[in-house]
Amino acid sequence: MKPSQQEIISRHSLLWLLIINVVILLPLYDKLTPWTMAICGICLVWRYGIFMGKVAKPPRFLVTSLALASALTLALVTSKIGLLNGLINLLILGYSLKYIEMIDRRDVRIVVIVGYILIAITLLGQQSIYFSILLIFIATINTCVLVSLYREDVKLNETARIGVSLIIQSLPLAALLFLVFPRLPPLWMMPQLKTAQTGLSDEVSFGEIGRLTRSTALAFRVKFDGTPPMNHQLYWRALVLEDYDGQTWTRHESIKTLESNNLASSSMPSATGPWLNYSVIAEKSNQHWLFALDVAFSDTLDIIQLPDYRLYSTKSLTQTFQYNVKSFTSVPMDLSLTDNVRNINLRLPEQSNPRTHQLAESFATRYPNPVKRLNAMMSYFTEQAYFYTLSPPPVGPQQIDDFLLENKAGFCVHYASALTFMARASGIPARMVTGYQGGEWNKRAQYLSIYQYMAHAWVEVWLEGRGWIRLDPTSMIAPERILEGFDAYFQGRNSYFIDSPFSALRLRDYPLLNELRLTLASIDFYWSVWVLGFDSSKQEQVLHQLLGTITKQKLAFFMLTSLSLIILVIAYSAGLLHFTRDKDKVSSAYLRVCRLLHKKGVSRRLDQGPLDFCLKVETQLPVIAEDFSQLTQYYIALKYRTLTASGRKSTTKLFIRLSRKLKLKIIKL
Amino acid sequence: MMNRANPITSTKPSRASLWWNTWLARRLPPSKQVTLAHKSIFILPTGFGLLWAGLILLLFILGTNYQNNLIIGLSFLLASLFNTCIIYSYKNLAGLSLSSSSSPQAYAGETLVFPVKVSSKQAQFEVLLSYPDNQVNVIKVIKQESQVSLLQFNNLTRGRIFPRRLKIESRYPLGLCRAWSHIDLDNQVIVFANPIESQSELSALETDDISHTLNRGVHVQGVDEFKGLRQHIPGESLKQVAWKQLAQGRGMLSKEFQQPQGQPLWLTLDNLSSADIEERISQLTWSIDKLSERGHIFGLVIGQHKISPSDGESHRLLCQQSIALLPFRGQR
Repeated sequence: MKPSQQEIISRHSLLWLLIINVVILLPLYDKLTPWTMAICGICLVWRYGIFMGKVAKPPRFLVTSLALASALTLALVTSKIGLLNGLINLLILGYSLKYIEMIDRRDVRIVVIVGYILIAITLLGQQSIYFSILLIFIATINTCVLVSLYREDVKLNETARIGVSLIIQSLPLAALLFLVFPRLPPLWMMPQLKTAQTGLSDEVSFGEIGRLTRSTALAFRVKFDGTPPMNHQLYWRALVLEDYDGQTWTRHESIKTLESNNLASSSMPSATGPWLNYSVIAEKSNQHWLFALDVAFSDTLDIIQLPDYRLYSTKSLTQTFQYNVKSFTSVPMDLSLTDNVRNINLRLPEQSNPRTHQLAESFATRYPNPVKRLNAMMSYFTEQAYFYTLSPPPVGPQQIDDFLLENKAGFCVHYASALTFMARASGIPARMVTGYQGGEWNKRAQYLSIYQYMAHAWVEVWLEGRGWIRLDPTSMIAPERILEGFDAYFQGRNSYFIDSPFSALRLRDYPLLNELRLTLASIDFYWSVWVLGFDSSKQEQVLHQLLGTITKQKLAFFMLTSLSLIILVIAYSAGLLHFTRDKDKVSSAYLRVCRLLHKKGVSRRLDQGPLDFCLKVETQLPVIAEDFSQLTQYYIALKYRTLTASGRKSTTKLFIRLSRKLKLKIIKL
Repeated sequence: MMNRANPITSTKPSRASLWWNTWLARRLPPSKQVTLAHKSIFILPTGFGLLWAGLILLLFILGTNYQNNLIIGLSFLLASLFNTCIIYSYKNLAGLSLSSSSSPQAYAGETLVFPVKVSSKQAQFEVLLSYPDNQVNVIKVIKQESQVSLLQFNNLTRGRIFPRRLKIESRYPLGLCRAWSHIDLDNQVIVFANPIESQSELSALETDDISHTLNRGVHVQGVDEFKGLRQHIPGESLKQVAWKQLAQGRGMLSKEFQQPQGQPLWLTLDNLSSADIEERISQLTWSIDKLSERGHIFGLVIGQHKISPSDGESHRLLCQQSIALLPFRGQR
């Protein structure tokens, strides 16, 4: 069949296409290159022009040259923006160009198909519950475009009604499939989105963490099996920094090699002692490091454990990632130290911070015992007039000297740097650890939220017979910061609200609104755990709760029953299953009255017309004569007269009301 | 003399299509009035539906490879949408009533028109009706009030023409599934032969004078013989008004009278000069129309069969039909 008259896109469909183009491309704004954006804009304006009848269809050569130009620009920038981003931009450009040159229904169908793929791509980057609801909405609009191909003569809202009901009727089966369909491991490697990294950076210099303390973004959430530890025990290790060049702390090369080659073990060692089980839902950071307490292991796929007891994901966290952790809180780290590691953790750059060096050496001579020496160093921060601030005065090239002996003001990185430096200078192996400290407890959903502003740096020193020990010099200056959390020490308005004026965390000051914030956060948490993090183990857990022990027969039975139920419901709501047609309300009401009268001894002969019967009733039961004659009149009007639609409606209403009243009267007789 | 094959594409049917046709004939026997139900509706995915399935697979693989539950969920939603569409497709044909009514007359080579009355208890959208290899009629909305769709059917031959099964198709609501049915509305039309002009081929069987054939058998407006009734023209003599019919409520009609003039004319196949019998039939068809147009009285002789001389529309139809139904050469 050749494309005939009916294959041409109607104006109604064109309007829907205008809408869908805007709503599909808007959420993708952050992935578009400026060139793509410009071409999309041209296409949209052109299409609008066509819709308004102002311009004709673009000439063939224009579309071709636009396509060539965009492909060329993309080829040039792909190395800069990454392969996946390049492909996405290509797809978007194809979408926009097809959009201006489409002629018949086939083109519209292609545009709709590509639209769904673009929605899926949007979901790669954005996964919050609110965003997902928005995308279901967009998918509905995309479906409406298809509906509009077959319903051309109706209003926008009629098409929308059909589209929405199609989607709503499809949701239950989709949920069922989501629940029972087996989850597979990735089939092959996919190119990853290249986007800005967030959270902790892999190196720390003075001022580094200070920037993070201005961010209210969520870093990760933790759900404990059982009661969570106290705030001051919540040191979430993310990075161990062993190299110091006088300016910045970085990871040692050997660790970096292990990380990039995924060489470290991922097995669960036979550690003993008390442990904590918890699962962490990390927000996307586009980095590899994970967060865990103390000596931590994980059995989640794609996670390895590094020799410094950190957890490391072999894939960068391009989307929300959930993993299980088992942490041993009292197992020592590295009871023995190889010479190599010892040297790395004692090394200091030459001629760096000579005055601090001197101070450390004086500690060493005064306290030969390493433990006592460390205690003295820690106390040094309280004895002297140090104070904690997120906006410390500037430092020169000998930064630790300047901080420790001149400014005496700084935050965690300053104190941790100084302590690590002094420990190393006095002969104790020490390293800097960065991560997060504390967490906000959500009572409703029983989980901890860790925000970026809780980023923290502390020190680990190695002691003979005890392994690596955590020391937090900040706790000496600002103990509330550690014991009760960041918020106990700093008012939000002084730190993390400076850069995020619209953060929901601002609602903390208002109890009612804060409740609301926590409720919404709980919903988002459940979404992350049960939808984003729904994996085969969760699947098993849910099915087990639903069916008891899972057998194939049970599962098949469950599938079949739910499927047929769903199909029945859809068929019913589509208007298929109305076997019995609506009975004639008027006749049945009249007949009911007649039946009651029959019981009272006034029966109607089969051949007796309503008027005739009315006369009989009037003579035999004068009590209801007036009402019955009125009823008969309504009945005759409804049955035998042509009435307007509204007249019929109102008369039917009066008739039904009167028949009810009359029935009561007859019963009382 | 059943001529069910479509004359345009009368290729030899394959075994499979033969089986399919007999199966269909058993399942959906010919009927003047058909209401579609589960027995008569078939549903299969369209090409777009297959593309959709590809999209579902693509999204599922994408979601799996990125371990992204939302993309997997989207693919499930699209799969479920497909399922919903099957039900909607069925609903869009179920309960559709179709009935045939008589077709207007036509000559061979003309496009035939089969009027089909459609109605449905529930609103149905964009239903396509067509006879195979013919133009498709699109009915945007079908409601309870019945409407007539005039279906075209290309035809080249004379005789009794049965259109093949009527195809009813719908892709509503998303174009993913095609719900369709093939029904036989048991309609037919006798197609007259293609008229070919021939001046000299009329023959008179029962007279000797052949040269005057064209002037004989002509009626003159007269008073002797009642010819029929026609619409009364205001101003006409009231004597001619058919009062009886007026009393019956048939409106104001006038009686027409005529006088036969001369001998009736006889048409026959055998006297025509052309060698090809089909051509002679065509010429005869033309002659019948011409004579009727002029109001001649004529009779028709085909072999042993004889239609006695008369005139008027019903006589013309009778004559035309008898020639149209003449067996084709070698088909006896």
